[in-house]
Amino acid sequence: MESRNLLHKDLDFLNLQKGCGDCGYAIRPAVNRFLTCPIKEAKGEESFELYFPRGRMNVLKSILEGTLSLSQELAEYVYQCTECGNCTEVCHQTQNENIVLPTGQWIDHVKVWDALRRDLVEAGYAPLDKHKKLIQYMKDDAKRNPYGENFEKKFEWARNLPNIVEEGDLMFFAGCTMPLRQQETLRNMAKILDAAGEKIILSKEEWCCGSVGMRIGDYDSIQELINHNVELFKNSGAKTIFTACAGCYRTLNKDYSEILGEELPFKVKHITEILIDLINNNKIQFKQEVNKDVIITYHDPCHLGRHMNLYEIPREVISKIPGTKLVEMKRNKNNAWCCGAGGGVKSQFPELAVEISKQRIMEAIESGAEVLITSCPFCIGNLKDAHEQMDPEIREKIKVIDIIDYIASKI
Amino acid sequence: MTEVYKKLESIVSKKYISNSPYIRHAYSRNVDPILQGIPDIVIRPKNAEEVAEILKIANEENIPVVPRGGGDCEFGGSKPIKNGGIVLDLKRMENIIELDEDNLVVTVEAGISWGKLNEFLCHFGLYTGCMGPGSGMTASVGGGVSHHSVGGGGCAKYGSCTKQVVSLEVVLPTGEIINTGSQSNKFSKFPFNRLGNGPDLTGLFCGDNGIYGVKTKVTLQVFPKPEFADYKTFLMPRKSAEAAATIFTEIRKKGIDIYDAFFIPDVVVNVGSQQGFFPLWDRLKRKRGIFFYVVQANSEKELEEKVKQLDEIILSKKSEALGPEISDGNYAKWYYTEQGHWQNYHNLWGMYPALEPLTAECFCPIGKFPEILRDIDQWDVEHNEDMQKILEITKIRPISGSGPIMLIDGNNVELTCGFTSFGKYWEGEIHEIIEEIDHKLWKSLLERVTKHGVQWYMMGDYMSRLMVDIGAYPEEYYNLMKSIKKILDPKMILSRGKFNFWGDDNE
Repeated sequence: MESRNLLHKDLDFLNLQKGCGDCGYAIRPAVNRFLTCPIKEAKGEESFELYFPRGRMNVLKSILEGTLSLSQELAEYVYQCTECGNCTEVCHQTQNENIVLPTGQWIDHVKVWDALRRDLVEAGYAPLDKHKKLIQYMKDDAKRNPYGENFEKKFEWARNLPNIVEEGDLMFFAGCTMPLRQQETLRNMAKILDAAGEKIILSKEEWCCGSVGMRIGDYDSIQELINHNVELFKNSGAKTIFTACAGCYRTLNKDYSEILGEELPFKVKHITEILIDLINNNKIQFKQEVNKDVIITYHDPCHLGRHMNLYEIPREVISKIPGTKLVEMKRNKNNAWCCGAGGGVKSQFPELAVEISKQRIMEAIESGAEVLITSCPFCIGNLKDAHEQMDPEIREKIKVIDIIDYIASKI
Repeated sequence: MTEVYKKLESIVSKKYISNSPYIRHAYSRNVDPILQGIPDIVIRPKNAEEVAEILKIANEENIPVVPRGGGDCEFGGSKPIKNGGIVLDLKRMENIIELDEDNLVVTVEAGISWGKLNEFLCHFGLYTGCMGPGSGMTASVGGGVSHHSVGGGGCAKYGSCTKQVVSLEVVLPTGEIINTGSQSNKFSKFPFNRLGNGPDLTGLFCGDNGIYGVKTKVTLQVFPKPEFADYKTFLMPRKSAEAAATIFTEIRKKGIDIYDAFFIPDVVVNVGSQQGFFPLWDRLKRKRGIFFYVVQANSEKELEEKVKQLDEIILSKKSEALGPEISDGNYAKWYYTEQGHWQNYHNLWGMYPALEPLTAECFCPIGKFPEILRDIDQWDVEHNEDMQKILEITKIRPISGSGPIMLIDGNNVELTCGFTSFGKYWEGEIHEIIEEIDHKLWKSLLERVTKHGVQWYMMGDYMSRLMVDIGAYPEEYYNLMKSIKKILDPKMILSRGKFNFWGDDNE
């Protein structure tokens, strides 16, 4: 395969890359900044500078200047990144609104890594082997999900649910991970909504949202998916589409309109936004707790938190559950440590992903929490995988649970 | 795989060495837009013994070696000068060996960052005094010591970071490991003092820019962080540079013990405010230079007296005190209480995407800096034609001037002056002319500032060679440096090329 330089299709992003001052600030800040790059930290002593932002930017500079080419080897390094965005969060951030350091205004590392992945795909050096499979499954009419399961299996969770309707204002987009890997959670969600008197539309024609393809950089694979899903949403007549997957949420709410270049004629909400409305309107009746408060900590999924600024609502939901006390991990909200699953890392580099999650679980234990709650199926899956691999005495200190399942156990 | 690579791999193991082109390019730059040197190998040793073995092989094979800590040098100091050779990434060596609270010394591996070290110390109520360079959040202690670094805080009180060095563990270029200071007496149980047991050989490795040895451990004196502090910011009158110079001088002549004092020139306040970097100064009608100080004390009474004396000096120069909160314009409060001391210089980067500084960072007497600043303005006018060529391509003209000017020890300031410019890649094309002009302008400015008699501290690739090329070193002094280099490093493998010490290589 002939190598070539970047195609310069994403010039804005490439200029953003040039905003990197190579100061290394995004590598290892200290004193309450709590480190930056989960990949770099998980690699530990093996972390050459290529594994974190400045090194990657230096390589990208060489590629732009024509002294280095794209290659499969480069792809192996580039995809060892969860695209969590913590590097941008840290880059030249003063943590004080009264002083704005210039580079912090320009640079968006995730967009730059995204552009590089797109170019690797176009040049034929990506997707990597496991990612290739995911893309193939997504394109397959008989599957239309990255797990390779038959299409119909995605809707098994919704059999016989009383509150699924043909028409209405509220449409649920199930995505792929929860229907195929966390069915019980979706049934719990349906149970909660039913108890609250909420009816939802569910289409049995929905395809994968395309997030996987986007994070891999294979934008050709997703155009058809986007068009199909948007058509589905429009035809449903629903005013609001909601999802319980942080990845789908970011993709539908942000990426779709950017790729299509138009505002979408419906709102997109996350399940926690639906839940808080129901709670505030007294439509969810919790059991009254007589035992002592359960100490809970909340992990901010990157696609919900840093990427979409949705920090407070999940916390509000948790705080309104009787018998709970919310404590924060040291790294929370916009400084939240990634679970390690995103950006295609879980599928291509599963051991690396789990290693990162182990650090997050230890951090949750340090907070004093007994329960680690989050609201993202990727985070849940990876955190649970890590949890299972840890020593029994660590495992018994904390439970990992989706916010939906926790609420379902309390109503 | 070459024999040399295999030998090196056997020292550190496979995981900690690479000749991948991507890893090599990741290590090929520092904090400037134009200098690059691509090593053949990047290696990450764990301790002095591994460093020693690496250097022995490098000597046998006559391969240049460059030590790299945080990689934050602004003159290309922690990458090869010519392509080739080995980069020694010391960031695996970032442990705290021992904090001796009784004797107030801390021993660390040289690859640790100032930020990480001070994060550890703050839990004991201690700090390093001088907080390293302005990039101390990521810059390594070893690198700071190699450059007499200043800028990260505390320099008016404690001087440069090398003043706190008690002892060093150094691997010489030929592989011997030595300990300096009190540890040159092999019966000394722990490092406690720098000076004694003969000549100050610790000083040989302080500010050496990595040419005389690889620092693997550093023992620093540490200090209790005083309980009381105050931090004030002032808007300066016209002729703010001259007024600031007078203020610095009076502070020193009155012997006021001050932690930090800075002057931010008008151009930084003005341009920065226009660009939205300083919301805290939005309400100021006149965007003139800013003066700020931080003072510490062990009692409220002591603090009050120091503040009174300082304010008298500053206000007598027709300056205006800004309010106590950051939102009032009190930059000093952000600087001291919110780690602004490690971000103070970062407004030089990214005034426009890819607009980065090519700096000239030096020490000079207090009275000298206003003259240097005026000369830089004059230099800018003289080189307008070259600046215009860059403007034609990028639509942005390079900006000349200075960042914050900082009081350091003695009657001296640190001056971070220079100009901001672009690298050669611009909007999909390579413009070699931009880089050619950058080099020409940078050399011209550095030579100009040198002839003011300044003292360079971080010199790296660019500045170290320029000092030699323009004949700034007296011959006897340069010959002495060279003689020492030849004794310690006969093949000149360590940081080959710096100060034009090339060994058998031709430049």
